[in-house]
Amino acid sequence: MSAPARTGRLPSAAAATAYQRQWFADLHRDHVPGAPLALVNADAPQEVFRAMGIPYVVNQWWASIVAAKRRTQDHLARLRERGYPDHTEQYSSTALGSAFDPDPASAPWGGLPMPSIVLAETTGDASRKIFDVWGEQPGVTFYPLESAAADTVPERWWELMPHHWEDAVGSDRLDLMVGELEGLIRFLEQTTGRRFSEQRFAEVLALTNEQEEWNRRTRDLVAAARPCPVAVTDSIPAVMIPQWHRGTTWARDAAHRLHDEVAGRVSAGAAVCDGERARLMWVGRGLWFDLEFYQRFQERYGAVFVWSMYLAIAADGYVRYGDDPLRTLAARFAAFSDQLYTPPWSAEWYVKEARTHGVQGVVHLVSDDARGSWATSRALRAAGIPVLELHADNVDARRSDPDHLDRTVGSWIEAEVLPRADD
Amino acid sequence: MSAALAALLDPALPGRTPDRPVAGYVGADVPVELLTAAGYHPLRLSGSPHEDASPGRRLLGGGLDPVACSVLTRLLAGAYGQLDVLVVSRDCEASLRLFYVLRELARVEPSVALPPVHLVDVLHLPHRTTTRYVLAKVRGLRTWLAGRSGRPAGDDALAAAVAAHDRVRGLLRATGDLRAQRGLTGTEFLGVVDAATALLPDRAAELLTALVAELPDRGPRPGHPVHLTGSSHDSPDVYAAVEAAGLLVVGEDHDRGDLLAATDVGDPGDPAGLELALAERYQFNGPAAPRASIAEQAAHTAARVHARGAAGLLGYVRRHDDGPPWDWAAQRAAAGVPAASLEHQPYGRVDPDALDRAVRTLRAPAVAA
Repeated sequence: MSAPARTGRLPSAAAATAYQRQWFADLHRDHVPGAPLALVNADAPQEVFRAMGIPYVVNQWWASIVAAKRRTQDHLARLRERGYPDHTEQYSSTALGSAFDPDPASAPWGGLPMPSIVLAETTGDASRKIFDVWGEQPGVTFYPLESAAADTVPERWWELMPHHWEDAVGSDRLDLMVGELEGLIRFLEQTTGRRFSEQRFAEVLALTNEQEEWNRRTRDLVAAARPCPVAVTDSIPAVMIPQWHRGTTWARDAAHRLHDEVAGRVSAGAAVCDGERARLMWVGRGLWFDLEFYQRFQERYGAVFVWSMYLAIAADGYVRYGDDPLRTLAARFAAFSDQLYTPPWSAEWYVKEARTHGVQGVVHLVSDDARGSWATSRALRAAGIPVLELHADNVDARRSDPDHLDRTVGSWIEAEVLPRADD
Repeated sequence: MSAALAALLDPALPGRTPDRPVAGYVGADVPVELLTAAGYHPLRLSGSPHEDASPGRRLLGGGLDPVACSVLTRLLAGAYGQLDVLVVSRDCEASLRLFYVLRELARVEPSVALPPVHLVDVLHLPHRTTTRYVLAKVRGLRTWLAGRSGRPAGDDALAAAVAAHDRVRGLLRATGDLRAQRGLTGTEFLGVVDAATALLPDRAAELLTALVAELPDRGPRPGHPVHLTGSSHDSPDVYAAVEAAGLLVVGEDHDRGDLLAATDVGDPGDPAGLELALAERYQFNGPAAPRASIAEQAAHTAARVHARGAAGLLGYVRRHDDGPPWDWAAQRAAAGVPAASLEHQPYGRVDPDALDRAVRTLRAPAVAA
């Protein structure tokens, strides 16, 4: 049997990046100061803005762009200068540094235009305060959404969410989120003059479901494929840029294209790494300031990161079907972060994904924040999967010496992963 | 010292009542009236900065408020004695994460001895939709307690519990207001609040009534009067250090101090309205740093500085307490008095050099005058 063909950059990843760059250029060209423009958190219901034709930028995605351009420290310094902390929730606060940029034109992709509306859930102790500061800026209004927590939750949420989300999320949380969304829509109608069309909203939800169904098929292809046909550094932009544009035909088609490219690679036996020896899972947010990190281990050890949460949560975390569009959207977001960060939901899901992807080890990024790590690491280890807890922040590189990260991961691969993979 | 104050601050103060089941609870957002009405002795759980909290930190992670790590450690060690139930509020992210770990421990390590645990998710945005949600959570807690105790708390018992706890809150407010006349130190007030959350409400009210009667005869406490903001304090150590350095804490905005008793439930007139009255009281109790907006917190701080005649604003922020650093710039601007902040402080301690600098800053205008 001949060696699998080594893959190049995934065309849909390059296309998504080019699209995003053009989208920002168009936004800069077309945006009139004072016109409706939103900055929204990643786990907030962006579909309402899509349906109303209000452009938006996703807070954490902008932070990842800033980090990839190595500009995070500039942004955090601007917060420090104004008496705000630079050591809490950096992933959520980086974009706020853009609001204080004295030279926005020099910022990545022409900078972040000043939004008129910011939207976030009141999660954590600091996140809502970051948006309070946004709301103090001239011309900016903060619309906070409640973030509710449940006393009891089912373990295998991914089986319930598409159709039985009422059982998974709970009626109290959904009632609350529906009320919050009704308030948001009325607020946007009154302050932007835009119309909320139920028909248009239903179209957006249907397009989103189509997009995520393509992502689900892609995830299943990657899980089953040996060797790994796509690098996480390609799948992340190929999934997430369309994710931030979900509810559009472009995003739906981009997800379809990604699927077809991955299917083609699987059929051709293509590999991101010649001589793949071990399959790894990356649990946590992307290490945006050092995306080459993932490739270094496949080059040194044949250890390939076959999984990140971005494709997987697209596959399992977004699809919702139902007769009541607003309640269906509420079901997408009322417990969104729980899927990633709250046990038993998060822990059981990571185990399920680790098993279906056949990984021999998990690198678990543990940041210095409240999300914690024990339950996820415990569940994976209980399932017999080696776990390395890597302590670093995903955008703030100050505490992350690259050599230290490399040595830590490399030693662990040699000691725990390769012996297991080579058995 | 007054006799009532001595009794309230007595280390041998009984923390529980014989023959009553004990309901441990975490955070001031737990509607304690429901615990009392259900026949429990409510016992608010505190951490201890003097004890190793490694077991809790291992489970909660190194980035979380050490108070939660300490509470979890103590729960695992049985340091609170027999707890028949445990109710956790979502007053801050650390409490919520503590609940998640307790729930997960019960699921995956059932051999670990822990009481049955329930989350009461009180939220605080000033919206009608939030009130409806909190009302559902109040009803959920009442139902859960009835299931655990085997007997529902009737409306009469709940009305009596509300009245008893309102009375305690009113007396705590009266005691707190005597701090404007410097009738007791901040350290003492912290101990009084702690006692009021450890005793059954009738006994707490008895001692607090005597305290309010006795304190006006006491001479003023020494020290430069300051309002304390930032992290909460579940032990007297930081207050004691601050006051030993020449300050007098005449008010604070955390829920182990003045904020515990900021508002009452009240008498809705109709027993059917009790649950809603509870929901609104806990939703709107006052701006705690982890849940309030920056603007609310700043306005509250400024008002309290004025009300208590504080001559300075002192911020104290424990490591991994992420909310207060975002409030500080606005609080400082709103307070209208000299301000100093101590950040990244270890649990239950204060850096002495930083405290010295803060004291100099706070007293500077008086020295110049």
